[in-house]
Amino acid sequence: MATNLKPVDVAVIGLGAAGGVAVLPLAQAGLKVAGIEAGTWIDPHSYKPDEIYNNVRAGVTSVPKAKREIPTFRTSDNAKSRQGASHPMMNAIGGTSIHYHAQSWRYSPWDFKARSESIRRYGPNSIPKGSTLEDWPVTYDDLEHYYELCEYEIGVSGRAGNLNGVLTGRGNAFEGPRKREFPMPPLRDTDFTDTMADAARELGWKPFRGPAAINSQTYKNRPGCVYHGYCDRNGCHISAKNSTAVTTIPAALKTKHLTIFDKAQVTRILTDNHGKVTGVLYLRDNREYFQPAKVVLLASYTYENTRLLLLSKSMAYPKGLSNNHGQVGRHYFGHWDAQAGTGVSALFPRDLNIWYGAIAQNVTIDEWADDNFDHTGLGFIGGASIQVNTEKHPIAAAAMNTYGRAPQWGSKWKAFVHDNAGRWVSSYIQCNTFPYENTWLDLDPDVKDPLGDRVCRVTSGPKENEQRQALYTGEKMSDWFRSAGAIEVTRPNGGNGPALTTHAFGGTRMGANPETNVVNSYGFSHEASNLGILGASTFGTAGARNPTLTAQALAWRTADHLIKNWKSF
Amino acid sequence: MADITRRTVLASATFVPLAALTAAAQAPQTVLTPAQIKTLEAMVDRIIPKDELGPGAVESGAAVYIDRTLATVNAAEKPSFLEGLAGVEALAQSTHNTTFSDLSPDLRDELLITMDNGTAASFPAARAFFARVRRLTFEGMFGDPYYGGNRNFAGWDLIRYPGPRLAVSPDEQKMSTPPKPYRRSAYGSGTSNGH
Repeated sequence: MATNLKPVDVAVIGLGAAGGVAVLPLAQAGLKVAGIEAGTWIDPHSYKPDEIYNNVRAGVTSVPKAKREIPTFRTSDNAKSRQGASHPMMNAIGGTSIHYHAQSWRYSPWDFKARSESIRRYGPNSIPKGSTLEDWPVTYDDLEHYYELCEYEIGVSGRAGNLNGVLTGRGNAFEGPRKREFPMPPLRDTDFTDTMADAARELGWKPFRGPAAINSQTYKNRPGCVYHGYCDRNGCHISAKNSTAVTTIPAALKTKHLTIFDKAQVTRILTDNHGKVTGVLYLRDNREYFQPAKVVLLASYTYENTRLLLLSKSMAYPKGLSNNHGQVGRHYFGHWDAQAGTGVSALFPRDLNIWYGAIAQNVTIDEWADDNFDHTGLGFIGGASIQVNTEKHPIAAAAMNTYGRAPQWGSKWKAFVHDNAGRWVSSYIQCNTFPYENTWLDLDPDVKDPLGDRVCRVTSGPKENEQRQALYTGEKMSDWFRSAGAIEVTRPNGGNGPALTTHAFGGTRMGANPETNVVNSYGFSHEASNLGILGASTFGTAGARNPTLTAQALAWRTADHLIKNWKSF
Repeated sequence: MADITRRTVLASATFVPLAALTAAAQAPQTVLTPAQIKTLEAMVDRIIPKDELGPGAVESGAAVYIDRTLATVNAAEKPSFLEGLAGVEALAQSTHNTTFSDLSPDLRDELLITMDNGTAASFPAARAFFARVRRLTFEGMFGDPYYGGNRNFAGWDLIRYPGPRLAVSPDEQKMSTPPKPYRRSAYGSGTSNGH
């Protein structure tokens, strides 16, 4: 029997990038909030500049609960699924925002209406075959205020390209209009990023420094980045990376209205016979607890959001919570990006000295993203941001492509890497990605976690539109590298699509139509009115850039809606 | 834990120094027999040989690193790894009627090339095994010396990686003047092979 806990106003499942933001406005409004998190606090002193621990062994990210629930993956419903090697989910207070690269972008205004804008400009046949693309039920303008709130509360460094509709001549000329400049200047430039920026200008492009939730200077009593080059898959040893564990969660705790239940593994969301959710069942130290709540906000990772809904069956929801329309798990998509093999790498005739820095210390081009160029006759919509970064680790550097100039081992290889391990660089190509009929999430019939609950199964088929984007933008990346003096450049590759990914979208899509979407424009279930869902699982498209800030802005907006309409919940 | 009810975050805040715990748990256990180490060293010695550019994988402790991972984080792959080592010896016996480590460097290279390109006779797992040994050799050569390899920072010196610093100045990110080597483990020890 579960122990019944004292009721709260709002139970938030998962204190990560999204849930960790939502708790702040809720607690500040005086609502009694229970933050239920499977992980716990991590001591920043434990974060080391150690490639073996962070990258080879996934020591920071591969936490016990996540390891027990790794999703399976297959490419079609005829294929057999295989369990992944690791779970992109993170269980900790702060969640994935602890180890992310902290690239904190606003999506382009086009992203929110990619369908209608593409039809308007290129006709109805421009919508990719088999896609289930819809316009989002919110626009960039709806989110602008929440983007700004997050940028200032969390701390995002960068430089505006468009202030109130006026191009500044600096920053990203293609971004949506901002009402306010960033709270901090961008991360510092390096010789390498300057060289790449100059090369882009020679091509007539407008390079800029990407925005980062990393302090470029002291902000809210936390120090600026020290650029030590171990940001990837690692927390920040000086808390200059603005995870929710060092920003919004501590701020929410100060109100005394947030109580954190850590090491608490949520197993079900319960509902009454009227279809409203009543609270959350969780395990802690092998004991079961029930946390009653007036409102539940589900804010675990994309795969787990779908999984927990499908596992939470009841009289009112025999196919899983909020799934009476069969939409939970649908419209899933992984970000088509360099992880899908679309990256282009290059060898230069000089040392680049990009060992240190941070992935977020980058230079980016947006000319070939979104609808920033004419797609007439190209056979695809969308595109990609293309980017080069600093931060290179020694094992990865030595395991380099030898560009046909040397064998892969032995004395000749040794001489080659002696000269060249510090002279190559890869690129980050993030494609606009859309939902398709052939890509969805469900529960694997054969693979269970130790509790006997089936794990999430990813089915992800090929996508021609995204392959074409990747090939087209990969050629632009090649041009950029050659303009900067590269002597070898790998051929662009369209990629075969992401397997399990840290950029996972959909499954609980947001949309006005309850027949094709799980949540409404405020992130609340079309079926269970007091259930909100946070995170990229609500996205209808993947922007050509990292998704976290958009998930956070939406989370803040959901919380704001809840506060303003509390009496109707 | 009989008293779990509602706890404030401060009361339940348990700081877990993850890296420290995991690293401390890594006592230098090993699993390979002297004969197996000999075979492994004869392989990694050809993957990264000692030459005029400096120490190779053997001198840098890459085989020690691999042995330790098989006893700990890579324990699950120990059976297939041992089969791979036995396969290398069987290949040396069938082609040259001797042990692998007794072969000349050139003959070892010849056999390893057949493994690498998947043409080694009667050794179907050769390609995957070679790729795995190569990968682990890189980890041992270029990873933090804390784990038993990269002795005297030979791997970092080889590729001119200037070492993990806790803070990096603007000058240390310049292309024209690469930073001076900072030969130190992330775990603070200036010496290699401490664990």
